[in-house]
Amino acid sequence: MEFVSPEGLRLDGRRPLEMRQLRAEIGSISKADGSAVFEMGNTKVIAAVYGPREVENKSQQISDKALVRCEYTMANFSTGDRVRKPKGDRRSTEISMVIRQTMESCILLEKFPGSQIDIFVQVLQADGGTRSACINAATLALADAGIPMRDLVTSCSAGYLNSTPLLDLNYVEDSAGGPDVTVGLLSKMDKVTLLQMDSKLPIDIFENVMQLAIEGCKAVANYIREILLENTKQLEYRRGK
Amino acid sequence: MVGLSIGETNFIRGGIAQDLRCDGRKRLSYRPINVETGVIPQAELGRPSSSRPDHGKVSIHVDCSATAAPMYQGKGGEELSSELALALQRGLLGSKSGAGAGIDLSSLCIVEGKTCWDLYIDCLVLSSDGNLLDALGAGIKAALSDTGVPRVQVMAADASSSSDQPEIDVSDEEFLQFDTSAVPVIITLTKVGRHYIVDATAEEESQMSSAISISVNRQGHICGLTKRGGAGLDPSIIHDMISVAKHVSEQFLNKLDSEIAAAQARQEES
Repeated sequence: MEFVSPEGLRLDGRRPLEMRQLRAEIGSISKADGSAVFEMGNTKVIAAVYGPREVENKSQQISDKALVRCEYTMANFSTGDRVRKPKGDRRSTEISMVIRQTMESCILLEKFPGSQIDIFVQVLQADGGTRSACINAATLALADAGIPMRDLVTSCSAGYLNSTPLLDLNYVEDSAGGPDVTVGLLSKMDKVTLLQMDSKLPIDIFENVMQLAIEGCKAVANYIREILLENTKQLEYRRGK
Repeated sequence: MVGLSIGETNFIRGGIAQDLRCDGRKRLSYRPINVETGVIPQAELGRPSSSRPDHGKVSIHVDCSATAAPMYQGKGGEELSSELALALQRGLLGSKSGAGAGIDLSSLCIVEGKTCWDLYIDCLVLSSDGNLLDALGAGIKAALSDTGVPRVQVMAADASSSSDQPEIDVSDEEFLQFDTSAVPVIITLTKVGRHYIVDATAEEESQMSSAISISVNRQGHICGLTKRGGAGLDPSIIHDMISVAKHVSEQFLNKLDSEIAAAQARQEES
């Protein structure tokens, strides 16, 4: 099947190095300490952060830093075929763990010893790249909650189909069977905190694809920074400055 | 859930007794409603049940996301979701045999006795501040008004064909809009002290002695009733609550219909 036409256009009309349209909104869930909706093309996820607060399960309490818990769930209606079991299946458990480890590396956990930070991510619409969208939404939600972080963690995926590196795969391109590289990056510090790949790639092409994903992460980070700046201006405006 | 001090509980109770609630509303007024259409319930082809061969099937599922409250993570929200789903089914779908349903199921039938549409309504609670049933009921009505059932053409069944399922051609282009004028809406009346309020917030709900959720349609007919809460209610009070609910439902239905129409107009513009 042809994923890149001879003119260089992908199935949804993008160029190979073009990301999908990004949209973000902060503060949708008033009850949560921090929340954000993040959209990458048709993939839409919502993240809510509760914390830092008292640890529910005293046996899991860590004395010198905060405990981070994360849950990733997909809504029944998020994919084309109705998902029967939204929580608890193996893929959700794995992605929950991946998001937790990524966010743990960037939150300043030592500031809140003996407490707990909960990150809940809900996929509303899935069209490829849900992992990346969730990490981006979680970063925004943590910033909205005012939890101190080392850096903004952003994530983006890239693949290699029809001998072309492609940025930000959607569901059709992802299920094509080609390689899918997901990268999570600490944007200012330029350090990779998450790296996952499936299928196979020769090493030199892998470096190209990973570099492409890193560029994608930096673009997302710029967008997130703009959104946060805009949000802060709004808050200041409402305070009556 | 919500931890309230004695001072705060007295404040809420006293306020309700004097027809003035914490956020300034009267006892019988609703919070502002915001409708955004976009989530589509899924419909699949299925077989109708044998007892009602000329009706389609609808199944309602509710999921409480952990984003609404941390205690809903993992299995925590299951009790609440099943309670909500059952209450919604009771209010909107009628009895097990499908008789007396608020939603018109015969429009979902394709071939009598053989094929019908299986409509799945999936609700997701993202943020909760009390009065979930009313919000879910309103959401379902809005979603149904946005639903398009694809036009289906039935090919004449071949006499020699041994297959049980007739050939169906599902159109991708044409859609039949679901008729939601008869879909009922759910009104929950929460009794706090000696008075009842409509559209309770989570704090007010923590003070309730009991609550009745009544599903009323445009003609003022009652399509379903659920009583929640441990306290007993005098039958005359229930009678009074039902008449209050019918009165409130007219205003609520009008407001909801205008919001849905506005949302659809916005969607068409974009």
